[in-house]
Amino acid sequence: MAYTFRFRDVLAQQDAILDGLIVTIELSAVTITVGFVFGTLVAIVLLYGRPWARAIARSYVEVIRNTPLIVQLFLIFFGLPAIGIKLDVMTASLLALSINLTAYTAEIVRAGFESIPKSQIEAGISLGLTGPQIFRHVVLLPALKNVYPSLSSQFVLLMLATSVVSQISAADLFHAGSIIQSRTFRDFEVYTVISVLYLCLTLLMRGGFRLCYMLMFRR
Amino acid sequence: MAFVELKSVRKSYGSNTVLQDVDLNIEKGEIVAIIGRSGSGKSTLLRCINGLEPVQGGEVWVDGVAVHDPRANLRELRARVGIVFQSFNLFPHLTVERNITLGPTIVKGIGAAQAAVLAREALRKVGLEEKIKAYADELSGGQQQRVAIARSLAMAPSIMLFDEITSALDPELVGEVLLVLEAMAREGMTMLLVTHEMNFARRVAHRVVFMNQGKVWEQGPAKEFFAAPKTEELKGFLSAVLH
Amino acid sequence: MIRELALLDVYYLVLAVRWTIALTLLALAGGSLIGLLVAAGGASHHLLPRLLALGYVGLVQGIPLLAWLFIFYFGLSIVGYDLPPLIAATVGFSVYAGAFLGEIWRGALIAIPRTQWEAGTAIGLTYIEQLRHVIIPQAVRIAIPPTVGFLVQLIKNTSLAAVIGFVELTREGQMTTAATFQPFAVYLLVAALYFSLCYPLTRYSRVLEGRRRGVR
Repeated sequence: MAYTFRFRDVLAQQDAILDGLIVTIELSAVTITVGFVFGTLVAIVLLYGRPWARAIARSYVEVIRNTPLIVQLFLIFFGLPAIGIKLDVMTASLLALSINLTAYTAEIVRAGFESIPKSQIEAGISLGLTGPQIFRHVVLLPALKNVYPSLSSQFVLLMLATSVVSQISAADLFHAGSIIQSRTFRDFEVYTVISVLYLCLTLLMRGGFRLCYMLMFRR
Repeated sequence: MAFVELKSVRKSYGSNTVLQDVDLNIEKGEIVAIIGRSGSGKSTLLRCINGLEPVQGGEVWVDGVAVHDPRANLRELRARVGIVFQSFNLFPHLTVERNITLGPTIVKGIGAAQAAVLAREALRKVGLEEKIKAYADELSGGQQQRVAIARSLAMAPSIMLFDEITSALDPELVGEVLLVLEAMAREGMTMLLVTHEMNFARRVAHRVVFMNQGKVWEQGPAKEFFAAPKTEELKGFLSAVLH
Repeated sequence: MIRELALLDVYYLVLAVRWTIALTLLALAGGSLIGLLVAAGGASHHLLPRLLALGYVGLVQGIPLLAWLFIFYFGLSIVGYDLPPLIAATVGFSVYAGAFLGEIWRGALIAIPRTQWEAGTAIGLTYIEQLRHVIIPQAVRIAIPPTVGFLVQLIKNTSLAAVIGFVELTREGQMTTAATFQPFAVYLLVAALYFSLCYPLTRYSRVLEGRRRGVR
């Protein structure tokens, strides 16, 4: 049974699969870029901002990290129109994913900043460097290097989590699964194939991150 | 006015008073060694001089700048006050050269090419010219400490503070660092050293200060200081340390 | 038929939290069983158990949780048997949690220095006795903060059970939205309910983390 199906779904439906795969990759790439940049900015506010800014940032991070992504997605896609903000599926997906990843990134990067020993900061102070200068030259790169493993794991998790946008009918890889499912009725086989594709994406991403680490941090 | 003047300096961490009523003057060109038990406040004293630690009472004057004033802009002063720490505190992600040129280029606005020349010169003084492109983790402890000294020297300081800079080194690496210090002394650098190296202090320092219970307990010219200690506490300390 | 968002709806939403908690506990139970095997295998001195454990973790962590839920939900459709959402969800979450818990606990086991094992041997304990009296008690202390942290993830993950039709908090939210057309208010309330479950646990895990650092 399954054997006969595999041909049918892979050959006949590879368009749907490919389209979905591309969307998943695009969503992931954009979200990771945005999440990394803004997450680092939020981390800076968390540590070095004025008390009111720190409070806002901390509340934002805690709310996002203690509520499910799918609920955040529903709130943005279904909830916002009720107060006048209508977003299309892709925009809502990107927004929800980015807001989510930024919060997790901020926590990780903040921990990275705090992992720099006080003695390093004092060395910078004693040379006469200002706070921002110390941050830029002494803290930033070593901190990112320290949290690189956590950060890259978080990014891989994000790529897998993009599957949730299928629930608002965004045309990602997981959604392609339900399309094929409705065409072929071979549910189990469909999701097995989709899963294998995600697994390949995971392995590629992990390998890619390891390569980047070698290139950036090994001399 | 002396180059460094401490008047009735008081420093506490919470309820723990580390420095009580410290009076100390350092003249330009003087080499002063500070010795004492751990907890006597020696390192704290040093860190108060370049403003790393704020003081709760008294005055700290360095080259005419009121360090004790919370509103003081210490950035400019710190370029003139070099400090070397027990744990070297080199920046691990930067080359030796970049470690040394960071201060001059960013704080003093010196151009990259000129800073590179400064770095080479500073490394020559500490005998590590060939390590200019190395990273900290490729160097021994003694070499790292010498690079730390070079880093401070490149800022052309008026005074150098040394906070137990040989205490974290393996015994066989201490000598190379002390040689550098002696060379600096010969060139007339004003130096304030917190140290356990009594023989070095006796040979090189002009004056030695004994800190005890957060106060300047006894001080005097180096030779006399070690040969004829006056107070009981100093006698006790020296006999424990110089067995 | 659209009705106003009533106190009754709020009541049903709060009641649905029971199922979220129930699902979390089921997943924790199932995941712990698998996690123990994975941890023990992963920390073994022999190659085969290590490879199996690592393979399991790599496979499970490389596939979205939604996919695992769907695989188990639709999985038995081959055999023509329709799995109730609760069972499918429990199995799916257990498989998922087992991998993550296994990794956390394996990390705790291998964090115990070799010298502790040697000390046990030196006073004549067998392998099992060493595990029981020396290694596991210490490993548990290391493992608790990240396990509590993972518990927060589990609670959030149960929201995906809604997708395969299990009526926990998120699904209840979807149904309430369909009936009242008040998605903003409803999902805000749903989020608040999740927050009230997760945030205290997050804080607690931080306290535990701080305590462990203090002990060291």
